[in-house]
Amino acid sequence: MRALDQRRARRANMGQSTTLSRRHKPDYWLLIIALALLGVGMIVVYSISPALAVEKNANGNQYVLRQFIGIGIGLLLFAVAARIPLHMWRHMYKPLLLIAGVATLLTLLLPVNQEYPAHRWIRLGGFSFQSVELLKFAIIVWLAGFLAYRMERNLMDDFRQTLRPLFAVLAGVAIVVAGLQSDFGSATVIAAMITAMVFVAGLPLKRILMIGAIIGVGAILLIAPSGYRRERLATFMNPEADCMSTGYQACQALIAVGSGGMTGLGLGNSVQAYGYLPEAENDSIFAIHAEKFGFIGSVVLLGLMLALFARIKRVADRAPDEFTRLVVVGILVWLSTQTIINVGAMIGLLPLKGITLPLISYGGSSVLMILAVLGVVFQASRYTSLSSVRDSYIDRGGSYDNSRNGRRLRRAYNPALSSRSRT
Amino acid sequence: MKSSSITSVSVKRVHIWYALIVFVFAIFVVRLFYLQIIQHDHYKTAAQSDQYKEYEIAASRGIIKAHDGDRTIPIVLNHQLFTIYADPQLVKDKKKTADALIKVLGGDRKKYENAIAAQGRYQVLAKKVTQEQRDTLLKYKLAGIGAQAQEYRTYPQGTLAAQLLGFVDDAGVGKYGIEQSLNKQLTGTPGELKAVTDINGVPLAASEDNVRKPAKSGNDVVLTIDIGMQKQVEQLLQQGLQTAKSSSGSVVVLDAKTGAVKAMANYPTYDPANYAQVTDANLFNNMAITEALEVGSVMKPLTAAAALDLGVVKPNSTYYDQSKIKVDDAVVSNIEEDGGPGTKNIADILNLSLNTGATWLLMQMGSGELNRQGRQAWHDYMSNHYLFGKPTGIEQGYENPGTVPSPTSGYGLNITYANTSFGQAMTATTLQMAGAYAAMLNGGTYNQPHLLESTIKNDGSVAKNKPKILVQRAVKPEVSKEMQPLLEYVVAKHHFKRKFSDAYSVGGKTGTAQIANPAGGYLEHDFNGTYIGFVGGNTPEYVIAVRVDRPKIAGYAGSQAAQPIFGDVAHMLIDNFNVPTKG
Repeated sequence: MRALDQRRARRANMGQSTTLSRRHKPDYWLLIIALALLGVGMIVVYSISPALAVEKNANGNQYVLRQFIGIGIGLLLFAVAARIPLHMWRHMYKPLLLIAGVATLLTLLLPVNQEYPAHRWIRLGGFSFQSVELLKFAIIVWLAGFLAYRMERNLMDDFRQTLRPLFAVLAGVAIVVAGLQSDFGSATVIAAMITAMVFVAGLPLKRILMIGAIIGVGAILLIAPSGYRRERLATFMNPEADCMSTGYQACQALIAVGSGGMTGLGLGNSVQAYGYLPEAENDSIFAIHAEKFGFIGSVVLLGLMLALFARIKRVADRAPDEFTRLVVVGILVWLSTQTIINVGAMIGLLPLKGITLPLISYGGSSVLMILAVLGVVFQASRYTSLSSVRDSYIDRGGSYDNSRNGRRLRRAYNPALSSRSRT
Repeated sequence: MKSSSITSVSVKRVHIWYALIVFVFAIFVVRLFYLQIIQHDHYKTAAQSDQYKEYEIAASRGIIKAHDGDRTIPIVLNHQLFTIYADPQLVKDKKKTADALIKVLGGDRKKYENAIAAQGRYQVLAKKVTQEQRDTLLKYKLAGIGAQAQEYRTYPQGTLAAQLLGFVDDAGVGKYGIEQSLNKQLTGTPGELKAVTDINGVPLAASEDNVRKPAKSGNDVVLTIDIGMQKQVEQLLQQGLQTAKSSSGSVVVLDAKTGAVKAMANYPTYDPANYAQVTDANLFNNMAITEALEVGSVMKPLTAAAALDLGVVKPNSTYYDQSKIKVDDAVVSNIEEDGGPGTKNIADILNLSLNTGATWLLMQMGSGELNRQGRQAWHDYMSNHYLFGKPTGIEQGYENPGTVPSPTSGYGLNITYANTSFGQAMTATTLQMAGAYAAMLNGGTYNQPHLLESTIKNDGSVAKNKPKILVQRAVKPEVSKEMQPLLEYVVAKHHFKRKFSDAYSVGGKTGTAQIANPAGGYLEHDFNGTYIGFVGGNTPEYVIAVRVDRPKIAGYAGSQAAQPIFGDVAHMLIDNFNVPTKG
């Protein structure tokens, strides 16, 4: 009975918090930029499909078709997620974690594919799904709820209440994702997500540095015993030392990027996709893009990415409540960290991680989940917290006329500021 | 106000995080600028050195044709087969790859798996794979498995004229025979392809930088050989050797007027399509030109012709033969059937094969005795008229020039030279004997024996081979006219299984050559049988030279082993190859 009461109370509490925000049209720019990025990815995959057909001994159209199907399902998920109010997720963290856990367990038990001998995928017919994508979202939802609850009760600094469970989760991710699935890239993304969310939730910097130090030590402990990772790291330090074996992909990526020049070789003229650069359609797609479209094209792509992140940031700014903000921040960190890790590796600034470039890379599960979580952000963009409007109003020196919903917001804006008080 | 402050803290922290992202992106842009603009040339060069590959396009080897009656048909052709190779670095699924290889090519799993696991980037998996096998294999689309076209020689006539043709080794170089001597003509000029390729080296069509210089095929050559004649000569030789219980021998048929080789057969032979399986490299030799032997009594007509040409004897000259001549410490004697001492003429010398008669002819060159003058005169004929001791220059590999002893230095020169007058103590190849006979019988012109009739260039233009005249006047034309009936007489006096029609002129001479014993002197029971003769009408048409190594048949090797083969070949030529009749 007590649990039920608590839940009721919480729901009532949330209902109260929404009264402090205004529902309005969602941020269509979010969708437009995402579609533009999908378009870029589609163009690159399409233009290298003849090369893929030759090098992978497959029908080239198959790649384009699959990407279309992936994007189609992804947009469907986007539409569904865009309709689910955010507070619904807050109660679903348990089933979400359960599903993600079962999926992860499945990948560890299922036999691996010879081509990619890692326990990361669930394969269904022609499609494969990376369980870690689901896990990322589950962790975001859980952590946002967990942190929002503690923020509301001012428990952030409590070691036992807040930090211990966090370390437990971090350790779990490290063991399962980085250890058993040997997916160091995803583990890094999750670690970045957790760190950023904790940071945004207001954890004192001292504690964050502590978490950072522990993650660092953990990373060293994971890298040191694995010859494969040590090799990757050594390769990263000096990729051109061994272009023929361990540094091969790194070297070929640099060659692809560098040979692109100012304007690129042109849409149909990528040579590196013809078997030189491994994973041309997937992890290495940024290098192929840079080869085709040159410096200008690369900067445009990064600009589009940054624009997408700016829109997500804007949603986080205006989030009606801390839970929403944390979810959106988690998603922002997810996408941005993945972008940074991927692009960084292609331009020789970070070690290779085997992680996809959001919305651009070919690959079903990545694009599916990313469109789904963008749907969540899209839903969140329907609300603007009144306090954030006031803040921005004050910041900009009095006028928010350029806001799309300015007229409605102005009317909704109640000069009696005292009524905003949540406590 | 508490939550408001929390909110503003978290919003600020979102901004900090976002600023961090912007900062990283700014670094990325700087880095991209560095890589794509500043370092562009470096990476462009690196890309090209990876992507731009140079290939040699193999040139087709010229084909070899020969006569089939009036037309020419190919006797050596090219056939494209494939070498299947692996680049182990690119092979993904070793087991699947090995499975497919076994299924298509057959063979041992271990062999394939070892090759796939090997170090180098080019591992040959199979050679001489057919087009169909290659197509089937490539349908599997195995990463790291490729096929390379290579031309191989095929022989529509099987083993025919194998030693005369030679073969082409794995590196595309002609070995032995025509393939060796005309290698330069037959080999074309390889072309060049420089192209941007995919990682497997397959040129990408789109590239503008591709350079293509087509390969120039080698020239086709037409041989003087007549395929039908060659076939029958090979068959008759093999049968004749069987009858004579000999293990090896050769026959050469020469156009008496031009020096063109019409047939040149050896036994035993080999299959040039499977040359790699031959264990005894001697089999590759065209023995008719690579082995010089003491020719025996077939030399006597040449000795007689030299004496006639010098004018020291007349066709009807006679002398008293004592059956033996003492030369220093040695004695020149005859075989038992010489008829004993008596008055003999040149026809008798040839018909009865008198060693003493040949020696007498040599003595006439020295004004009646064995001396330096006679030796030098005969040496001049052997070396400079009949061209013994010198290669004929026929288009064949490894021609043996034979030997002629010096007339002026060494021990026992008189007995040595007496021996040379009947074909011992000197060596010559079967072809050299045929060439010398042709010169002696055709009016005195020594035409270079040759196999190449014409060359067909890529553009279709035909260049006739103009054979050299090696000696303008080996003997006077009158001597040729005198020698023809002398040799006809020998044939007429000897027994042939099938008589020759009077409409044709057929002449010849046997030889039963002693074989030098490596330990000194001559072998007692082993002889080589030789026969050189001709068929024709008013003038000789074909010269036929036969050699039978160590026949085990009873009787003289020349008449019992070599002569029947000559008879068969001569009849065959008369029956099938338009020998003109007298008149």
